[in-house]
Amino acid sequence: MIKRLTSLAQACSWLAVVTTLGLVLLLLGFLGLRGFDALNPALFFGKTPAWAAITARLPVWHGIWPACVGTVTLVLLASLLAIPLGLASGIYLASYAPGPWKRWFALAVELLAAIPSIVMGLFGFALILFLKKTLAPQANTCLLLSAGCLALLVLPYLILMTQTTLEALPSELRLTGLSLGFTPWQNLVHILLPAGGRGILSGVILAVGRAAEDTAVILLTGVVANAGLPSGILGKYEALPFHIFYLAAEARSDAELAQGFGAALVLLLLTAALFLGAYYLQNTLAKAWKQKDLLI
Amino acid sequence: MEAKRPVDLEPSVRVEHLHVSFGGREVLHDLSAQFAPGEITVILGRSGSGKSTFLRALNRLNECFPGSATRGSVRLKLQGQWRDIYREALPLTELRRRVGMVMQTPHLLPVSIAANLALPLKLVLGLPRREIPARVAGALKEAHLWEEVADRLDAPAHTLSGGQQQRLCLARVLALEPEILLVDEPTASLDFRASLKVEELLLSLKERYTIIAVSHSLSQARRLADAALIFRDGSVAERLSREDLQAPDTLQALLEEIF
Ligand SMILES: Nc1ncnc2c1ncn2[C@@H]1O[C@H](COP(=O)(O)OP(=O)(O)OP(=O)(O)O)[C@@H](O)[C@H]1O
Ligand SMILES: [Mg+2]
Repeated sequence: MIKRLTSLAQACSWLAVVTTLGLVLLLLGFLGLRGFDALNPALFFGKTPAWAAITARLPVWHGIWPACVGTVTLVLLASLLAIPLGLASGIYLASYAPGPWKRWFALAVELLAAIPSIVMGLFGFALILFLKKTLAPQANTCLLLSAGCLALLVLPYLILMTQTTLEALPSELRLTGLSLGFTPWQNLVHILLPAGGRGILSGVILAVGRAAEDTAVILLTGVVANAGLPSGILGKYEALPFHIFYLAAEARSDAELAQGFGAALVLLLLTAALFLGAYYLQNTLAKAWKQKDLLI
Repeated sequence: MEAKRPVDLEPSVRVEHLHVSFGGREVLHDLSAQFAPGEITVILGRSGSGKSTFLRALNRLNECFPGSATRGSVRLKLQGQWRDIYREALPLTELRRRVGMVMQTPHLLPVSIAANLALPLKLVLGLPRREIPARVAGALKEAHLWEEVADRLDAPAHTLSGGQQQRLCLARVLALEPEILLVDEPTASLDFRASLKVEELLLSLKERYTIIAVSHSLSQARRLADAALIFRDGSVAERLSREDLQAPDTLQALLEEIF
């Protein structure tokens, strides 16, 4: 009986793994097939010469280059805001927060995690309206506002991953450094954070991925279809997910639709590159830590 | 071995009326004891009688657990000066460095063998980079581990055997130049041979440190101890001298008493 149950459970988990993998491969294959043909310089730069476009000497029409730049800037800016704050909050929750505070804070984080991105977009939009009427009449939706709202959107992933990772570390590890005379800060920076590096990294990857693909937030906070390269953090900008959404909704020809698939593939590759970058960084740091190179 | 032991050494650790509790449950009650430099004092007692808690009271490590509370006085002679560690503002990092502790199970850092020693040297003592390798080697030699690990200092520390891990922990503590050594069941998971090696090591160190060692083996206590404390339910039930320990009838009494 128990044997039968075990093998049933095994079969189910196999099925789950195979289904998931299959679906992912199907999606990637579909995107690759439809998008691959569109992957050429014209997809990125339209009729503008590539070098002139990259160096921003000539504007790009009908190409996704500005959207690529916009998305990368947006994700970097959002990460810059969210990662330090998220890590710090996670650390606080895991190591310092006194009991009752911790419960309230954790509740707040869960609430934040439950907010749909369109609501976050509306929040940003309302914020600008409010600013316009009160402190800053010239305020407008822009790259910085989008990045701020995105940062708020992905903050819970970072906080929860950091907190759970640190809390899951063996309590001996916490004690080891302290027993040797480390200060709590040294213990955190030189032992706990590096030991939890992998878990924190997956939080960062989740956050970056989420920030790169989100459309609802930026839709209401500053993205436009044709802005060219972002002029600054207070300017409008283009972004890949919005571009894809736009093309999918309004494509008037097969060529435009193909461009949509191409853009989707590029977005996928771009996030993959960001992940690889994060993974590589974490790996290098971990190696250095294990061999003490960086530290002394 | 015990030839030049002075008869009444001035103690370097004085514990008076120590109470430790966790979450309101008292684990050590009104415990008083003294420990002398150049001696090994072995603490014996049933599981749960508070031996580890007592050691942790000497470097204030109990405070790292939630709900711990400590009363009483613990005075240590550090660098020739008496310090009341629960009353004076002696920095915790300084205290824990001077009162080195090897825990009941090897607590390795998940880094290389060398980094396990180098990291505390760098962070706690602030040694400059160029002095660290010599210090690491010195401590490994002192802990009789050098020959076994000299050719694989960059290997992960957890690839060492249990006994080697224990000695690595000891080396790590010795590298910080402590004055008092707390050793919690250093041979708990070792076979007889490996245990003897660790015991030999402790004996070779006792001239220079005040050593307080917890043990669960009476025969080990007889090999190591200059004095022994028997713990029962969180206080000292009895104090035995080396001679007491060797006497066969105490042995019988002790066996019935603790085990
Ligand atoms: N961090 C803690 N929180 C709560 N209770 C604790 C804590 N540490 C120890 N205790 C309690 O204190 C008592 C003594 O524990 P301690 O570890 O000092 O015993 P011990 O004599 O070292 O035992 P053993 O020989 O099994 O190692 C036990 O009842 C234990 O449950
Ligand atoms: Mg113990």
